[in-house]
Amino acid sequence: MVKMAKKERSFDPIELEIFKSLFVSIAEEMGVALCRSSFSPNIKERRDFSCALFDADGETVAQGDHLPVHLGAMPLSVKSAIESMDFEPGDVAVLNDPYRGGTHLPDITLVSPVFIKGFDRPLFYVANRAHHSDVGGISPGSMPLAREIYQEGVIIPPVKLVRRGQIDRDLLNFILANVRTPVEREGDLTAQIAANRIGERRLIEIVGKYGAKRVLEYMKHLQNYTERIIRLTLQSIPDGNYDFEDYLDDDGLSGRPVRLGVEIRIKGDEAEVDFSSSDPQVEGSVNANYAITLSATLYVFRCLIRGDVPYNAGLMRPIKLIVPLGTVVNARPPAAVAGGNVETSQRITDVLLGALAKAIPERIPAASSGTMNNVTFGGIDPRNGQPFAYYETIGGGMGASPERDGLSGVHTHMTNTRNTPIEALEHYLPIRIRRYRLRPDSGGQGRFKGGDGIIREYEFLAPARINILSERRRFSPYGLQGGQPGKKGENILISRGQKRRLGGKVSIEVKSGDILIIATPGGGGFGRP
Amino acid sequence: MIRLGIDTGGTFTDFVLMEPGQLRVHKVLSTPANPALAIIQGLKELGVFGQEIDLIHGSTVATNALLERRGARLAFITTSGFEDLLTIGRQTRRELYNLMVEERRPLVDREFSFGLPERIGYDGKIIRPLDASALEQLVKQLKQHRIESVAVCFLHSYVRADHERKVGQRLAQENIHVSLSSDILPEYREFERASTTAINAYVAPLMERYLRHLEQELGEAKLKIMQSNGGCLSAKAAREKPVTTILSGPAGGVVGASAIAFQAGFRRLISFDMGGTSTDVSLCDGAIMTTTETEISHLPLKIPVIDIHSVGSGGGSIAYLDEGGALRVGPRSAGAEPGPICYGKGQEITVTDANLVLGRLEPKHFLGGQMKLFPERSFDAIEKLADQLKLKAEELAEGIVRVADATMERAIRVISVERGYDPRDFALVSFGGAGGMHACNLAERLRIPLVLVPKNAGVLSALGMLLSDVVKDYSRSVLLKAEAISFNEINELFKPLLDQAIKDLTKEGFSRQKIRLLRYLDTRYVGQSYELTVPASSKFRRDFDRLHLRRYNYADESRPVEIVNLRVKAIGLTDKPPLPKLEKKGKSLSSAMLDERVMIFDGQKYKAKIYNRQLLEPGHFLAGPAVIMDYESTAVLPPNWQAQVDAYGHLIMRMKRK
Repeated sequence: MVKMAKKERSFDPIELEIFKSLFVSIAEEMGVALCRSSFSPNIKERRDFSCALFDADGETVAQGDHLPVHLGAMPLSVKSAIESMDFEPGDVAVLNDPYRGGTHLPDITLVSPVFIKGFDRPLFYVANRAHHSDVGGISPGSMPLAREIYQEGVIIPPVKLVRRGQIDRDLLNFILANVRTPVEREGDLTAQIAANRIGERRLIEIVGKYGAKRVLEYMKHLQNYTERIIRLTLQSIPDGNYDFEDYLDDDGLSGRPVRLGVEIRIKGDEAEVDFSSSDPQVEGSVNANYAITLSATLYVFRCLIRGDVPYNAGLMRPIKLIVPLGTVVNARPPAAVAGGNVETSQRITDVLLGALAKAIPERIPAASSGTMNNVTFGGIDPRNGQPFAYYETIGGGMGASPERDGLSGVHTHMTNTRNTPIEALEHYLPIRIRRYRLRPDSGGQGRFKGGDGIIREYEFLAPARINILSERRRFSPYGLQGGQPGKKGENILISRGQKRRLGGKVSIEVKSGDILIIATPGGGGFGRP
Repeated sequence: MIRLGIDTGGTFTDFVLMEPGQLRVHKVLSTPANPALAIIQGLKELGVFGQEIDLIHGSTVATNALLERRGARLAFITTSGFEDLLTIGRQTRRELYNLMVEERRPLVDREFSFGLPERIGYDGKIIRPLDASALEQLVKQLKQHRIESVAVCFLHSYVRADHERKVGQRLAQENIHVSLSSDILPEYREFERASTTAINAYVAPLMERYLRHLEQELGEAKLKIMQSNGGCLSAKAAREKPVTTILSGPAGGVVGASAIAFQAGFRRLISFDMGGTSTDVSLCDGAIMTTTETEISHLPLKIPVIDIHSVGSGGGSIAYLDEGGALRVGPRSAGAEPGPICYGKGQEITVTDANLVLGRLEPKHFLGGQMKLFPERSFDAIEKLADQLKLKAEELAEGIVRVADATMERAIRVISVERGYDPRDFALVSFGGAGGMHACNLAERLRIPLVLVPKNAGVLSALGMLLSDVVKDYSRSVLLKAEAISFNEINELFKPLLDQAIKDLTKEGFSRQKIRLLRYLDTRYVGQSYELTVPASSKFRRDFDRLHLRRYNYADESRPVEIVNLRVKAIGLTDKPPLPKLEKKGKSLSSAMLDERVMIFDGQKYKAKIYNRQLLEPGHFLAGPAVIMDYESTAVLPPNWQAQVDAYGHLIMRMKRK
């Protein structure tokens, strides 16, 4: 039974449940509207977005079960917007600057204040973040192998996109002039504004029904609720210090492995997560900003909780995060960060789970594929002479767990984005998919077998520039408790009958008829075979 | 002509027989091992066995086979290189924060997923012809493995079905059942199409055997099968596409609820069906709505089905305090076994127990007095938990009901407010065993002005089946920019679908005068991925913008629009006599009163009258607080509510004017 401090017993367990369901439903409703009315494949098909509501301090109250990699970053965006401007009713702030509450540049976040009659300051905020298919920069899809963030796309600090209900056309035009597919961008931003309006409207309705005081109280109670549950979870882990290290293959420029190290110190119902042993920030784009490392940490601890608990600010309260500035897990501007969000976040998860496996081996699975296998390409579509840009990620094998085999051909950990139907792809892009299969025997052997990766084979029907940002091409996803590691991934190009192995992070030009094969890593096995 | 609706449920098989001027209702215990036995028994007891009657049957054979994975030994054939299409799916996991997440149980073993060399382009060009010798090899393998049924889904077969047809013809020669994706769902998006086709192939042989057997037994009766789109279909046609019968039970309920509401004068309604483990809600704005985005058993099902939203909250939902100190209700349910605590065996508190403690259920008259309840067991258990929380038993019981109501309120909001409808414009039609106990409370929370509890609420699904028309859906992916095509050209594209529809409904025995053809366009802004369905009229563009605004809060008249699918809903109008009015015997209201008891609302005790629903007559006027007991359902009229019995025997409940 939970020990309840005096101040905590002021809530009613019935009301708590009712408000919990109300708050979560608002975030979910925003998400449904955004996903269904947006234009970027990343948002509508791949569901690379998140929606959440926040209290007056910008602390999360509830977030939809959207994308783990956005967990920690959402409140940072809101706080950064609050610090940067004075909100008026009807305003909407926009931002994507990874050093001011963003994740990586393609993720554009909109923050709206919610004003309630009788209060002169916003009582709540709602926000949504969505991955746009292109935000400019040196390559289509805005996931380049860059050395500086300036090369990655247009940087938007927190500014007002909507003032008192009116879109700032000047600002919008400025943003649209810096991206490759402006019509689509404008559609997505409109959908994002509409989604925030839904959240705003619902919150106002709830206040109308229950009164501001009760709503505010139960927001606090709900944060405390999540805090109680995470504390119980931490308590179930034996006290002690647990460390682990693993490597990124390279930063895409130097070929040198990048070390990620963590020590988790559990004491009672609190945890300290210390990344001090990680490498300094690197020249390539695999740097993670603070938001990403926070997200990965939150994700891992959220997974330890059995049962469904709403994600909010309470989750982080008993966890102290130590990440020295200037490291690959807390980069300083102007480091490039496009890959931090998609690749380094997965490795951060791997080292956290690896450390926890030393404490609670019966609850931690072997490493999953550990990469999102980002493939971006663009060019001119010969069918209509129009430019095209496309970005997708490919699933891999899930690590085997103490209870069962890992799933095959699936996105794991920090992402859960859907694939684009092949029939849609071939209709809209000058490309043919020749193979999309599981990769046999790529999962690590063990008492429970790691899931298999995927083989995806593209035939380009027009010249195109391709960027690949992938990991686990050099270091395998680890097995646990005697299980074998999963098979490493491979990238292969076949041009005019010549087969060539590509690196994990490359930018290349291909000709019409060239074939690209991406084979993704399997998951690690669990237990001696 | 006599019409009979038969709904096979888990416990009972319900019969509603319509003869000129009267309805007869009958129930027989279901016979799950062979559902036909209960049907034959019921027909004999009703005295219509062997007669030439119209019989509309809602079967759970396909649904259960799917849920319990007892379907055919299935193989899947696709374009080579894509053999794992059904396994990979959309590449996502079911639960985000579960490190040991389980796989969705596939219908096809991986070793029975086969690729054939062939390729058709998105534009219908044959890039690689079907390899005939590979097909021959595969046929041998299928026979070796004793495959009973095959699903075929080649890439882009919605544009050109030649290769699928060749495989279909070849397998038919071998007497292997085959379902082609181009027949089942000729729409783009390969995984969803393949999944729907696989479900069809998986249940087809079983359904075939069941229906053949049933037809033999029935002799002269004309058997029609209920579908999930709210219409029925001849047994012969249903055998070819059994996937359309999955989820037909709940569909029957919605059809019944809307037919009753329409006749009672309400064109806009929300149906609310609260059972033991879950609650189904559906919105009907003058016409029943369908969706093409259903999932069953974690598998996508893309055919049009009635848009029913289901949540895990019912009479049997279990209430408990979680480790964070919140009172949770459901989704776990005590079901019928062990059932709520008051049934005598269960140990966990349920919503039904809470209702009993609050006096909203009358133990003496439960199931017509045939089942003994143990109210003191419920009270003791609730009091024990209440003590822990420093609450009174009644306070906790009201809390349990409120949490359950909140879940159901949210479900109704999803289908109304979140889609741009204002619940105040609708009537709430409540049925299912527990619905009537919660309906008025929910209506109050959602500001719904009126609740209708139909006569025969316990057999509404069978009634809906009896009243259903024959409905067939047709679709075709076209993926056309609206600007590049005139409305006349769109009309031309509809022609093959319309011709097919007329042909099929003629086969079902309808003359052209009795056939209605409704045409729709699945439309979206260029670049979007989700479509909104609007009627195919010359004003479709305007209708689309309006619907988009309503659903997603914005519209852009200047943005180009794309037509993704053409749809035709073909309706064969069946002859249905109107529902008979309830005979008025002239008895007073007091003669329908069974008892009085204490009922609790908002912490206050009230003396409430208990009425026997069977003895209520048109014109009776009831004031809350009251409980109205029917054989298998209970309705609660809260203190500030009143009810009137209309000419058909339905209870029309409204809030008292203040």
